[in-house]
Parts: sequence; structure tokens; C-alpha cells
Amino acid sequence: MIKLRNFEKILKHANKAVSFHTSSINETFWVKEKKSGYSNPKNHNFPSKKELIVEGFKELKSEIALWREEVSEKLRMDPIVVYRPGEVDVVYDFQDRNDIDKWVVTSDSDHNEGKSKASLELTNAESGLFHGFVDSQFLKDGKIKRTGYANMRTLRVKKSFKRDATFDWTMYNTLVMKVRGDGRSYLINLNTEGYFDLMWDDAYHYALYTRGGPHWQDVKIPFSKFFRSSKGRIQDRQCPIPLHLVTHVGFSVSAKGQSDGPFNLEIAYIGLEFDPSNQEEFAYEMYQQDKYIVAN
Amino acid sequence: MINFHRTLRAVIQRNLRIPQNSFTRNLSSDESQKKKEKAKLPIVRNPFDNAQQKTKETFVDMVSIFEKRDVHRRNHVEFIYAALKNMEEFGVHTDIEVYKSLIEVMPKGKFIPTNIFQAEFMHYPKQQQCIIDLLEQMEDNGVIPDYEMEAMLMNVFGKRGHPLRKYWRMMYWMPKFKNLSPWPVPNPAPSDIQELATLAVERMCSIDIKSKIEMFHTEEVEDSIDKTWIISGMSEEQSQLLTEHKKPNPIYIEGPSLIWLRNKSVHYFTLRSDPDLEKLEKYKKRQIEDTDDVSKLSTPFFGTMTPPRPSALAKQRSVHEQNDGTIFAICATGTSTKDSLLSWIRLLEKSNPCLSEIPVLFKFKSIVGSNIVPVSTESDKKKPLDLEKIKVV
Repeated sequence: MIKLRNFEKILKHANKAVSFHTSSINETFWVKEKKSGYSNPKNHNFPSKKELIVEGFKELKSEIALWREEVSEKLRMDPIVVYRPGEVDVVYDFQDRNDIDKWVVTSDSDHNEGKSKASLELTNAESGLFHGFVDSQFLKDGKIKRTGYANMRTLRVKKSFKRDATFDWTMYNTLVMKVRGDGRSYLINLNTEGYFDLMWDDAYHYALYTRGGPHWQDVKIPFSKFFRSSKGRIQDRQCPIPLHLVTHVGFSVSAKGQSDGPFNLEIAYIGLEFDPSNQEEFAYEMYQQDKYIVAN
Repeated sequence: MINFHRTLRAVIQRNLRIPQNSFTRNLSSDESQKKKEKAKLPIVRNPFDNAQQKTKETFVDMVSIFEKRDVHRRNHVEFIYAALKNMEEFGVHTDIEVYKSLIEVMPKGKFIPTNIFQAEFMHYPKQQQCIIDLLEQMEDNGVIPDYEMEAMLMNVFGKRGHPLRKYWRMMYWMPKFKNLSPWPVPNPAPSDIQELATLAVERMCSIDIKSKIEMFHTEEVEDSIDKTWIISGMSEEQSQLLTEHKKPNPIYIEGPSLIWLRNKSVHYFTLRSDPDLEKLEKYKKRQIEDTDDVSKLSTPFFGTMTPPRPSALAKQRSVHEQNDGTIFAICATGTSTKDSLLSWIRLLEKSNPCLSEIPVLFKFKSIVGSNIVPVSTESDKKKPLDLEKIKVV
């Protein structure tokens, strides 16, 4: 008994010093916000309410112009019906500064969880250079298990008046890119952020292998190859990517397998293509599993 | 009681992440119990830290010593966690046999759930989580489990065990991506630099299947200072482009740039020129007319005669003629010095005599840029990371 009382004392003492969990964290379903604790309000310098209103009115003009365009597009009622094979429709390219501003670059050092650094820059060859270094060193605080990553991701697709929208890519079946890498493999992330908190972290991935060297590399990846994951875990219940719900496009690189060091990925454009020769719906098996084993 | 206490202590230590010393310090601060506690506290040592030789043999020996120590194998979860933590030091983190020997530590039969409630509520959670963590570590290190491991896990946790589920997931996904890369590299990547450089140059030159990879020795060049090797890749088409290059315009040796092969990187240099804009414009014009395009039909009755159609039999644009320059050759040298690159040009001259008439300039990128992490020394490693100083990008 004496020992147990001692133990309690230590616990109390430790509780004062740092907050910690003595058991696994009990956060099962409900998630407060989309970043799952990674958006620290202290890091943002939000302007005051008054400033927000003034700034908001300034944007009214451009937003109304956008809205007019949307309405006239709808009234015209002239959608593209036939997507000609072999034609690439570019979604993102890197012609000027505005194209760079569509992307957000993050790395583990943003959250004080590591030392990786990354940036996206415009090159002379009219392309975006995603470069920096990934470092798997971290402060051993007991919470972080592994680190060393960098991401680039587009801003959320928006309609006029800053309303959330999604891409509609249902007419295409291939992702086309022109890249120049450094031999590392990157991860292509297509986020399909849903309405409910369970679907906030839905993402579809595929690997982007780069050749390295001075030559450009043409990449064509059928959307059927993309597999589903949430918060970095491949899901048991798989399905083909819902192409009308794509919200973000992104690339990741990590220092996995002791590959700490600089990285370079140059992207000329990211586009879409309809390829009639590609008939595959989904590249992964969808057979029935035993009860209570899968997705449990 | 002592055993219970020891287990408890280990669990607390792990969960609270209190270093061992501070634990004793806290206990000893309680003065009334001080002497008694000191006498009773067992000394827990990490056998993996104290090992003299950090090899696979000693690691496996330690596991078998633990297995044979007593019937109950007390603290086996703590032991497995300690072992997992130290695997990289012993160089066994990619060895499936060692992972199997760690699973072997778990007793067979005891953890198999006997009814539906036990199965659903994670029977023996600590033990199951421990093996899930082991499998996770295998996954992180790219070790694909085998069917023997499935049988072992089945014996320990039964077919409804969570480690089994993790195992099946791994066995489904990992082999799918193992050989997916179109440019396979041996696993582990060769440690010999020359071999690695050959692989790298071969990989970069795979853009043109007619590329020839050659190995030169700078000894062949008179008055070369560096005696080293050069791996050079050049195709017939590139030689042709080099002869067609307009003489007064210079060509550049650009580099060093980096290419990664698994966890190893190689510096390489390229021989290139600025883009020949006239030529590129010609290629553009020569593109075959789209006969389906009805937007610009011309009436042949009035005005000037329509220009003759370009011949369909025209020279195609080479892959080496890019918008940002023409690439003539790629190389990696043993020393990456200016002198070795000069020797490379001299050696290329033998098969491409036109090189002697073209001015060659060096365009060096500095390797040590501001964004490169300095190699940490032993003293640096001991210091905790100064995370305050890292600026958010």
C-alpha cells in the first residue's frame, strides 16, 4: 500500500510538470477541427473584426465578377460533351507568381516536429521547383515517433464569394504531368475532403517515381491506380477515387529509409486526359472478406 | 510482489517517459521510506545498451537467453519494445529472421481469445499492441513478412488477433509497391561509389535507349592532375546534335546536381547548350496540319497561292532538345573536380572531334548552399534540438 501511495505522489508531481497520457489517447470519432490539432491559432495573426469587414468589402467587386461568370456559364447551357482523346487539359501550371500562390508548402518544422524545410519557386523554364531538404532528426519528446517530410498542396477549390467547391474530373481518366525529379519517389495526394468529420481526411494516393537527371519526364497515371487513405493510413475499404469531389492536389516527400537530404522536384504542368485505351475501373481487388476482420 | 513492482515500474517509466534516474530521485525524496526503498528497488539495466559487440549474433543470443531464463518469461512486452528500439544499432532492422525471433518470445496459445467478447475487445491489449508496433517497424523499414510469420502470429493470437489483421494488410499492400518503380535499384543500394555512379548514369540515360555508358580513366589523358574514373553517358543522337551545334556558341558543363538511388545520392554533371530557338521554331512549324480543324479553311480561288504542305517525312525533334536547352552528355566522376571534368571533355573529343572547336564553359552550382544541413558531429548530437531557432517556411 505504501508503495502505491508513493506512486500516486509521483503521478501528481508529474501531472503538474507536463500534461501527458497514461493510456492511449481516447479520441475515437469526434474531431474538433479539420487540422486535428495542427492548426495553432497562436501562429495566426488574425486581423480584427473591423479590418475583416473592410477587407471583405474590397473583395466584393472581384467576387461579383466571378459570380456573374458562373451564372452566365450556367445560362449558356453549353457543357463540353466530348472530351477528345489525346488532348491534355492543364489544371495547374507555373507561368507566373500567381500560379505559385495557389500552393501551400508545409513541412514538419512548421509544427516544431522536425528540421525539414521546403519551398516552391518559379524557375526560368516556366516551371515550379519544389525543393528543400528532409531530415528525420527530431526532439525525442515521447510523442513524435518519426518525422522528416515536406508537402506542397493547392488551396481549396472555391466558387464565388469564397464558397467551397470541388473539381469535377469525371470526364477524364488519366492524370498527366511533366516533371523533372531527382530520383526520389514522391507521393501524389488527391484530397477529397467531405462534409462530415469522418470524411475530412479522405485522400487518394499514388507514387510518383522520378528518373532524375536533366531530362523532363512525362507522367501518365490512370486514376484507377489511386488508393484510398485517411490520416496516412491505407483503408481496408477501398473504392475508386470520386473524381467529382477532388478538393486539393498535392505532393509529398519523406526522409524514409535514411534518405535524409536535399530534394528537387520541378513541375511544368499538371493536367488531365481522357484516354479511351484505359478501361480499368479500379486497380485493387474488391472481393468480399470474412465478417469482423476487415475495417475493424 | 517484487516482480509485480518491477513490471509496474517499467510500465510507468515507459508511459510517463520519465528517465530512470529521475524515477529513483523522486522515490528517494520521500525521506521516511528512503532507506527501505533503496534496498528494495531492483536495478533495471538495458541489456542491449550494454552489449559489447553490436552484431546480429549477439542480438539473437540475447533474445534466446531471455527466452530460456524462466518459464514465465516475465516482462516479455518490455523486452520486445527494448529490442525493437535497439535493432538499428545492431544493424538488424531489415532482417526478417530477427523479427521472427522476437515474435517467438510470445507464449503460444495463451492469448488466443476463446469467445466473441474477448475477440472484439482486444484480448491481452498490451501484448497485441506490442506485436502491432513490431509489424509497424517492419513496414517502416520495408521488410515484407512471409507466410511463416503468419503461422507464428496465428499460434500466438489466433485468427481474430489484431496483429494478424495488420499482417494481412501488409501482405496485401507491400508486395504491390515493392517492384513498382520503373527504375529498379538493388536493395540495399551498392555502397561502392563507382558502381552507384554507373547505376545513376544508366538511369538518367534511360531516356534514350541508344545511349552508351562508358567508363573512362583520366590516366589516359596527358597532363591530367586527378587520377580517377569517369562514368559518361552519351547517345549517337547526342553526338549528332553536337556536330550540328553552331560553333561560336558555347556549351556548358553544368553541375553538380544530385540524383538519389534509394538512400544514396550521386553528384552528376551535364554537358549542355542554350536552346536553339530557330530550330525549335522550325519543329513547331513542321507539325503536321490538323485536317479536322475547319476553323481556318482557305479559298483557293483568290489571292496568293497556298504554300506547299510540309513533307510528312521530316526530322523529328529529339528528346535531348528541350525548351530549356540541349543536352549532349551526362557524367559522374570520382572526384567531381574541374580537372576531372576537363579530362572528360578531352576523352569525349576522341569520338566527337567537333568538341575541340566549341568553347566549353563551366557553370558550377555550389554544393554547400544555405539550405543544406551541416553534417552533425558527435558533440552536436548530444545537444537537444534547438527548435526555437527553426524558422517556419
